Amino acid sequence: MKKLYLSSSLAALLMASALGAACGADYTPVTDARLQNPEPQNWLMTRGNYAGWSYSPLDQINTSNVKGLVPVWSVSTGVDSGHEAPPIVNNGVMFVATPYSQVMALDAATGEFLWRYKRKLPPGFAALHNTSRGVALYGDKVFLPALDAVLVALDAKTGKVDWEAKVADWKDGYYMTMAPLIVKGKVLVGVSGGEFGIRGFVEAFDAETGKSVWKSYSIPAPGEPGSETWQKPDTLKTGGGAMWMTGNYDPATNTVYWGVGNGSPWFGDQRPGDNLYTASTLALDGDTGKIKGHFQYQQNESWDWDAMNAPMLVDFQRGGAKNGLLTPQRNGYIYWLGRNADGSISYLDSEAYVPQDVFKSIDPKTGRPDVDLAHKPGTGKAAKFCPGLWGGKDWPYASYSPQTGMLYIPSNENHCNDLEGKVEQRIPGQWWTGVAIPDFHFSVDTKAGFFGELQAYDVETGKRMWRDLYSSSMNWGSPLTTAGGLLFAGGTNDRMFRAYDAKTGEELWHFRTNSGVIAPPSTFEVNGVQYVAVESGYGVDAAFQQTLMADLVGWNPDVPQGGVVWVFAVQR
Amino acid sequence: MAQDCDFSSLRLCRRRAMLGAATLMVPWAFPAMAEDQVNDPTAAPPQVGDHFVFLTGPNKDQPARVDDLELGGPQAQVYPADPKGLVRDGSPLNLVVLVRVGNEGLDEQTRKLSADGVVAYSAICTHQGCPVNQWSTEKKAMVCSCHGSTYDPKNSAKVIFGPAPMPLAALPLKSDSGLLIVAGGFNGPVGRQTN
Repeated sequence: MKKLYLSSSLAALLMASALGAACGADYTPVTDARLQNPEPQNWLMTRGNYAGWSYSPLDQINTSNVKGLVPVWSVSTGVDSGHEAPPIVNNGVMFVATPYSQVMALDAATGEFLWRYKRKLPPGFAALHNTSRGVALYGDKVFLPALDAVLVALDAKTGKVDWEAKVADWKDGYYMTMAPLIVKGKVLVGVSGGEFGIRGFVEAFDAETGKSVWKSYSIPAPGEPGSETWQKPDTLKTGGGAMWMTGNYDPATNTVYWGVGNGSPWFGDQRPGDNLYTASTLALDGDTGKIKGHFQYQQNESWDWDAMNAPMLVDFQRGGAKNGLLTPQRNGYIYWLGRNADGSISYLDSEAYVPQDVFKSIDPKTGRPDVDLAHKPGTGKAAKFCPGLWGGKDWPYASYSPQTGMLYIPSNENHCNDLEGKVEQRIPGQWWTGVAIPDFHFSVDTKAGFFGELQAYDVETGKRMWRDLYSSSMNWGSPLTTAGGLLFAGGTNDRMFRAYDAKTGEELWHFRTNSGVIAPPSTFEVNGVQYVAVESGYGVDAAFQQTLMADLVGWNPDVPQGGVVWVFAVQR
Repeated sequence: MAQDCDFSSLRLCRRRAMLGAATLMVPWAFPAMAEDQVNDPTAAPPQVGDHFVFLTGPNKDQPARVDDLELGGPQAQVYPADPKGLVRDGSPLNLVVLVRVGNEGLDEQTRKLSADGVVAYSAICTHQGCPVNQWSTEKKAMVCSCHGSTYDPKNSAKVIFGPAPMPLAALPLKSDSGLLIVAGGFNGPVGRQTN
């Protein structure tokens, strides 16, 4: 077999190994039809389906046999930092994205190595969040949004670069960490950089050619609808609104739902107005990217409470909706919204899933919060707010199980930040929020019995059905639910990967991995055998927060890093 | 790591450090840098005799003098500039921080490299390469704006908090009647490092 060394010569540049391409068998091209109706045995996209449920119809692994789950193979990714990507599987071929913008292709059943792509990041490039939340598949290609804001298309069989498209200028503070969304032959990616004074957007590229098809900004240009919510027009250009998490898609109406992040700088009084569309969900036309609708979770955003996660498409009766959007947001509230045929979004209901001291109330008609100004930080005006900037939950996905009718939320309580803003000169590419990291004044309630938790809510009634409390850890673990009645999740600093009974919350199985699991799991079937897979590799905000907790409450500041992909099956 | 590195010759040092890095699994190397340094003086590392210009603040683009810096901190971000005024901002790795720490309480190495109570360090965090451009008034230390790695400017920029695996490399200084001048190459590897 041909081997490519990671050469120590200075000529070692972009690396893609063609190792094992001949062993890779036939590769099944991914089509729009397949993405709209993904086969249960595959995991073709980040959240399993376009509705964003993080749910699998597979049930071979179930509550009665999960106790026999054992690792069947594993592989090192060879890199440190936070691993946040689910293994993507297409008919026996697994693709995993890692920090440093690398992709590995492996035989999903045996773990045999197929190929690897290693990006050469530009000299001097540094990422605030050195991670990847995954690849997307379409046709015969694998798409990776690289950290330096370049979209890379790889040949799925060989890992060789097919095309690259520059999405934004990393020197200005843009970067990319997300998994793309594929919509009708187009690769949709959004940018990060909300802490660097960028202006967020989503861009769609033709999957075959890499040409840009459309681009939609989260912050309107002067004169566009919504621009009147930026009372100082200059603040639009650096208003933030990063669109850094993968959207969801409704093929029936050809509507893309995408989350929009925090305002920039962090202190809303420096950019007076409601600041559309920061901290909002946008509904975009799949063909043109035109904004069809929106819902804003909080106005004049001042808590770093990104609305980064797109809502899940769930049909429920609550609030009278037939077609709904369901989303637990960073601000600590679950939202039930209406998903209208014209793309507009209606507010139906909301409920706090963690105690939150910023909203006095939420308007029952419009969903607009009434903010307690004592908990709204400003320039020269310190304010403490709970939950803190990491919110009731951060980017980790929620999961919806149609089997239990429950919404599962990885969340955190009993933490706060106390921030005071300054006016700062912006240096392109440098942190620009108005507050420095040493002045975050992150605090926790040391008398609290827990910090991280996994919660389950009944979607129709909004009643909390169960929760598991983590006394000595925050929770950065996205859950996966299955028709086997199970919920799989990691997220804690003890390196555990767990299986719960999704109905009752009883922990049925756990396995201590090499590092902290902060990636979403996936599940798939090859040759009649079901597997569960997850990347274990601590880092990024989970690790940073852990160092703060080490200072505050004595936790271990050094959860071991280093990525490993773990694949489990029931022992036979 | 580059233990046999001749630190007085920065180019040799960095090339060796890059080789060390390249044999690890993460190609965070800069293989083209050696050529760039020859062809592009703005990308060349700080040279003996260079002064510094401020990246930001009221004295942006002006030469850095001791009195421009606040005694006790915080640090100021600067780029080296050659005697003709050519600014070496062609490489992000040339970003430097100056701190006016004073003359008290410095460790021996820091005292030797300082001039008029000012020290200079690479501004590039050894953890993930972000700029160390924030300041902790509580700890009187430099803080990286990505993951909070904290470096003590009075004690060879050693790491006192956070995930950074190594201190920041120091740049020896001279003072020419208050104008700060580069007196030698970096005394260690610059940029993201691994243990």
